[in-house]
Amino acid sequence: MLGNVDPADAIVVADLEAGIGTLTRLGDGAVDIVVVVVEPVPKSMEVGTRAAAVAAEKGIERLVIVANRVRDAADLDVIRAAFPGHEVIVVPDDGAIVEADRRGVAPLDMTPEAPAVLALSALAERLVPV
Amino acid sequence: MKIAVVGKGGSGKTTASAIIARVLARNGAAVVALDGDTNPNLGLSLGVGVDETERLVGMRQALDAADGEHASDWDSLLDLFGSDGPDGVRFAVVSQIDNPEPGCP
Repeated sequence: MLGNVDPADAIVVADLEAGIGTLTRLGDGAVDIVVVVVEPVPKSMEVGTRAAAVAAEKGIERLVIVANRVRDAADLDVIRAAFPGHEVIVVPDDGAIVEADRRGVAPLDMTPEAPAVLALSALAERLVPV
Repeated sequence: MKIAVVGKGGSGKTTASAIIARVLARNGAAVVALDGDTNPNLGLSLGVGVDETERLVGMRQALDAADGEHASDWDSLLDLFGSDGPDGVRFAVVSQIDNPEPGCP
């Protein structure tokens, strides 16, 4: 389906099904950027490294790793070690996200200045500069 | 420009997708946010609200049950299965379609 999307000049942000199934089935040219979200937890990084490998095989132009729920330098080191040579964006562990999720509201509305929200907002502008 | 957000379930991809979509929209882009997860939660992270998110999930399920109308192009798909979210983000739940009709985008 992503291969057929072309609302003129639109940016499509697709939150894919958890895991790498959908990524694996993407056709050539279906996506321009793959954002791989990982936590500093082996199971999460395992899925992430597989996703990065699939994206590389498909020749996807740009791959960005989001190191999510990072508590300290050790967490970041673990993720950087798993993705050598890749662009890694750090999103800190942030109770504000958990609270927004508990309330069923957008973190961007509830706590726009929270560290994780700011980090993800900066990521957006890195992906598509203004 | 097409951006796909991937990762293990629970890693934070929905939160990331929602913030990316809305910030790009605030910066002037026409943004379409798609929820492909079998547990569709992107609506909540976008700020669409529980009722609207559930309505869109219900429509998506109706399609699988062959109760619903089908879309023949992207604008129709967004009109039928989508919603206009905060910051002008157009949003649709498009979780894996089991029985695509011919011409289903």
